Amino acid sequence: MTTTAGALAGIGPLYRRRLAVTTRTLSGIVGQIATPILWVLIVAPALDAALGGFDPAIDYYTFVAVGQVAFLVPFTAMFNGLNVIVDKDFGITRELVVAPIPRRAVTLANALGVLTIALVQVMLIVVLAVARGARFHTSVSGLVWFVAAAALLTLTIYGVAEILALRIRRQEAYGPLIPAVGVTPWFLSGALVPISVLPSGIEQLTLLSPWTHAVAVLRHGLMQGSDPGLAAIWHLDSEPVMAALSTLVLALFAATTLTLAVRAFRRAATA
Amino acid sequence: MQLAAAVVVEDLHKTYPGGIDAVRGLWFDVGPGEIFGLLGPNGAGKSTTLGVLTTVVHPTRGRAHVAGHDVRRDPLAARRSSGVVFQDSVLDNEFTGRENLRLHARLWGVSRRATAERIADLASVMGLEDRIDDNVRTYSGGMRRRLEIARAVLARPRVVFLDEPTTGLDPAIRDAIWRLVGQLRQDHGVTVVLSTHYLEEAESVCDRVAIIDRGRLVANGRPRDLVDELGPDLVELRVDGDAERAASALGGLRLGARPPLRRGDLVALPVRADRDRLTAAVAGLSRDGLGVRASTIRRSTLADVFAHLTATGASSSEETAA
Repeated sequence: MTTTAGALAGIGPLYRRRLAVTTRTLSGIVGQIATPILWVLIVAPALDAALGGFDPAIDYYTFVAVGQVAFLVPFTAMFNGLNVIVDKDFGITRELVVAPIPRRAVTLANALGVLTIALVQVMLIVVLAVARGARFHTSVSGLVWFVAAAALLTLTIYGVAEILALRIRRQEAYGPLIPAVGVTPWFLSGALVPISVLPSGIEQLTLLSPWTHAVAVLRHGLMQGSDPGLAAIWHLDSEPVMAALSTLVLALFAATTLTLAVRAFRRAATA
Repeated sequence: MQLAAAVVVEDLHKTYPGGIDAVRGLWFDVGPGEIFGLLGPNGAGKSTTLGVLTTVVHPTRGRAHVAGHDVRRDPLAARRSSGVVFQDSVLDNEFTGRENLRLHARLWGVSRRATAERIADLASVMGLEDRIDDNVRTYSGGMRRRLEIARAVLARPRVVFLDEPTTGLDPAIRDAIWRLVGQLRQDHGVTVVLSTHYLEEAESVCDRVAIIDRGRLVANGRPRDLVDELGPDLVELRVDGDAERAASALGGLRLGARPPLRRGDLVALPVRADRDRLTAAVAGLSRDGLGVRASTIRRSTLADVFAHLTATGASSSEETAA
């Protein structure tokens, strides 16, 4: 077995298992796709009607449709943290830690499974939003920025979810954290309104949030040239440079939380 | 270190955070194809020892090898060479029996073709062929345990660790499980290291046992040898009066190498003497005004060895008899 193959051993079967667990039941499938449908077809038009007039230069439905991605992806990631507790309490975590695979494979396979689910949801949002009348201005590079931001935000929050699940260990204690950690920062991320309209102290604080960088890069990807999100963060002239900087911030967040999640799993699995 | 041994434990120590010394200098080895029992009261260090051997517990000091692989230096190779059946049921409840076995096979690197063949074979051996494609949530406790044993041997490991595999199962299922373990050893030459509280099962199933008490090895050998070493016969007195005085009198007869064991109104002494002398001696005690209500002379068992060698053996022995 080569070093690379050894390092990746186990990820494939565990990734397929994670997807199988999610898609095995009708409720599992419906649960994953109902939320994006609800957002695009009901919540976003409602927000457009209620808040859409704040800047006539911005198509608010398109604006908020992209912002929904930054809502849904962390929620999905946090929700899947419950699986860590379920696997530990009722499932096969103990079998996995005596398997001849690096223990990081368990965390990384879970993260890839959640990433796949989240990207399917994101695709659903985009397709439905276009069908509903969103006017995206994008390109191949724009789509790459968009997907990268969605993926890195997913991995960042999943890392947080796994750390919390391993520390808290009880479903009833973890449950309330799903909206608290997965959703609250979204309100201050520029997803609903530009961060420039937030109080100045809050605005500075949001710059430390992965949600803020993700929303800015997501909009750069699908609303090229028409969203001031990146400029509000970096105050530079070049949008690609600003997008790269925010993506780098997201990558650092993702690497950090996943590394800590792998360590937390190792610590929880051994004595 | 004996390179031929399937499992080697040398000077093993484990101190948990908080200063709890779970294992304090264990030494033993297990030969290829042996069925080896780890016995001891609750908290003796059995689970910690199995934890070290299955690489989920880091030893504080000492070494352990599984199939020649150092569990600290090469844990992946040690895990690849072993299978584990946990005390509690550890199955993936979302899936069927076959899917559980398949996942194990993928993780242990068994080819798809070999996986299909072995699942068919093991399902037949374990009596699960009619239920292998059912969700494991619908399995009884005995079926779950049989599936877990099948899973543990699916990748043809050199060593299988069974942590109290029959706890909570009814006697018929327990017998069936031990027959399966014996058959797997016979068919595949697998080495089995198990822990159990059922001493009569250990005596009949294990080639050798190690008795651990408070983290230390107090006996290691074939069950029959350990019984003979203790004393092949056991004198038991039921005492209405002063049990301490009766124990002292029994000990004073110098019929065995160990002091008598007291448990409530029972005084027990392992002995090595001919039956006529024993009978006469016990009859003498009954006449000496010691309050002996009843006396018995019987063959010693592994449970008696356990009771005499472990600090909390009395209570464990009662549990075993229950």
